Amino acid sequence: MLKMNNISKLYQTEMVQTHALRDFNLHVEEGEFIAVTGPSGSGKTTFLNIAGMLEPFSSGQYLLDGIDVGKLNDNQRADVRNQKIGFIFQGFNLIPDLNLYENIEVPLRYRGIKANERKRRIEQCLEQVGLASRAKHLPQQLSGGQQQRVAIARALAGKPRFLLADEPTGNLDSLMARQVMELLEQINRDGATIIMVTHDPELARRAPRNIQVVDGQLADFTLYQGAQTLKNVAGV
Amino acid sequence: MLEIKPIFHALCRSKIGAILLLLQIAITTAIVSNAAFIIEDKVSYLSQETGYPEDEIFSFHVMLFGNDVESHQQFELDETMLRGLPNVIDAVYISNTPLSGSGSSSDFSINPAPEPGLSARTAYFFTDDHALNTLGLELASGRNFNESEVIVTDNNEQRANVTIITQTLADELFSDTDALGKTVYLGDIALKIVGIIKKAKGPWMKDSRPDNVALIPYINPNISGNFIVRTDVKQRAQLASTIEDEMLKSYDKRVIIRVRGLDEAKENYMAQDTLMMRMLIVLITILVLVTALGIFGLTLFNISKRTKQIGTRRALGARKSAIINYFLVENAMICTAGLILGVIAALLLGQLLMQHFSIAALPPSYIAGTALMVFVMSLLAVFGPAKRAANISPSIATRSI
Repeated sequence: MLKMNNISKLYQTEMVQTHALRDFNLHVEEGEFIAVTGPSGSGKTTFLNIAGMLEPFSSGQYLLDGIDVGKLNDNQRADVRNQKIGFIFQGFNLIPDLNLYENIEVPLRYRGIKANERKRRIEQCLEQVGLASRAKHLPQQLSGGQQQRVAIARALAGKPRFLLADEPTGNLDSLMARQVMELLEQINRDGATIIMVTHDPELARRAPRNIQVVDGQLADFTLYQGAQTLKNVAGV
Repeated sequence: MLEIKPIFHALCRSKIGAILLLLQIAITTAIVSNAAFIIEDKVSYLSQETGYPEDEIFSFHVMLFGNDVESHQQFELDETMLRGLPNVIDAVYISNTPLSGSGSSSDFSINPAPEPGLSARTAYFFTDDHALNTLGLELASGRNFNESEVIVTDNNEQRANVTIITQTLADELFSDTDALGKTVYLGDIALKIVGIIKKAKGPWMKDSRPDNVALIPYINPNISGNFIVRTDVKQRAQLASTIEDEMLKSYDKRVIIRVRGLDEAKENYMAQDTLMMRMLIVLITILVLVTALGIFGLTLFNISKRTKQIGTRRALGARKSAIINYFLVENAMICTAGLILGVIAALLLGQLLMQHFSIAALPPSYIAGTALMVFVMSLLAVFGPAKRAANISPSIATRSI
């Protein structure tokens, strides 16, 4: 599903060079639920950005679903992001001027899905996150937990095979964080591969596979037994 | 892919900036379309054909204060002296200078006063048989005055009995027949039409009948009068600079003033209109620039306000072209609404101007042209910022800003 071989990311300014990732190797199989932890500044977000094709890498090879990402142009990267990846952001990143229905519609429009099909999918996703009755509400009329559920619905609407979550519970209280986590686990059980960046060791422990990023490299990984729907585990 | 519906909804939810821009576009359209029409009107007025070779002619005004000569005789002598100067093509006494804004006019009628009959407002010049050549006028039919027809006198009872009129005046008074040989009346003075000039303007180009002109062979100057001298374009300035000396050389108890080219006289007369036209051009240029800057600024502001949103859209699969389209469509929607309002405002403003300032009705083509220009200008103004927005990295979506 996801293979990163010797990925490096170098940020260069006039004064200083910073290696955000160094010879980063990771193989993720379909259906895995991985929690990525690590101290601040270790390169977690850079890893997530590269995995989600949000920024280019400096060297190495990255294969996503067999596609060599390094060879794609900007438009092709946008299309692959749209079709294969669902994003869940720490700050939800909902568009404040659009209601829930329209927010979820955004990636579907970019894919060129017809209005009837969009409607069906949006209603289904809102149902799945328990917000079917709030479709016409604006994001600011919802609690943080509800907003994150909308963001999850938006990520799911495109039926992605790969879900990237950046501190999905970082802005939520513990009750709402638990609800969101349960939702992610359910989505994983339904077949989606999930990579979740988190600071929260409690949440990380709930993921079947943990990886730790330290100084831009993969430091260690721990496989937690009792994974619910883990189909296959690949080491690095 | 055009996101018309969500963009419309988003605009409805945060509308203050959009409404301000919409109003600015509407005001610009209303003012620019009317101003453009007035400018076009002024340009055609300022550039109208006068019938005179203006750059070959200069005129001057003479005021006698000496009592030892008869003015009509002196002016005859002056004419002869002027015609004898080197490089002078011809010279003539004339009661007023054409295009200068100063002259005489009256109703020319087909019947003698007080008998009622068709009449037309006409500017007339008292001059002699050298007027046609000096003014460079061309006859459409008929002939010039004979020397015998020219009345040079100080007796107000003596009258001329022939005239040469312009084709426009002939057409107005004698629409069905040939005017040549017919008689027109200046009050009760009968004037037989002996010639018809193709084209000549009177003293007032702003007049309701600027092309109704009559020449009358009659010189009775009292103490002042005007002379017109025609020369070669290249010699005119030099000749004009020496004319005062030449005139005073022949008789020095007089004052020579307003020595100026016919084109200069016309420019002086039209100075206010030229100024108004230039001010209107400056006004509409500033208005269009301010509107363009407004659109540019608002789009830049929107982009900086929506940086994270744009990054999120890119992360969710928007191509760069989709981001550019988003801003173009958003602007086009605001602009279209502004233009609809602007077209209505332009029509109302046009009607107001028509009622209060006697300006012709604003043609729809000016509104359509202005609307198109404003629309294109707004798209151009938004394109640069939109392109900048498209270059926002999708990785912004994961950063805290």
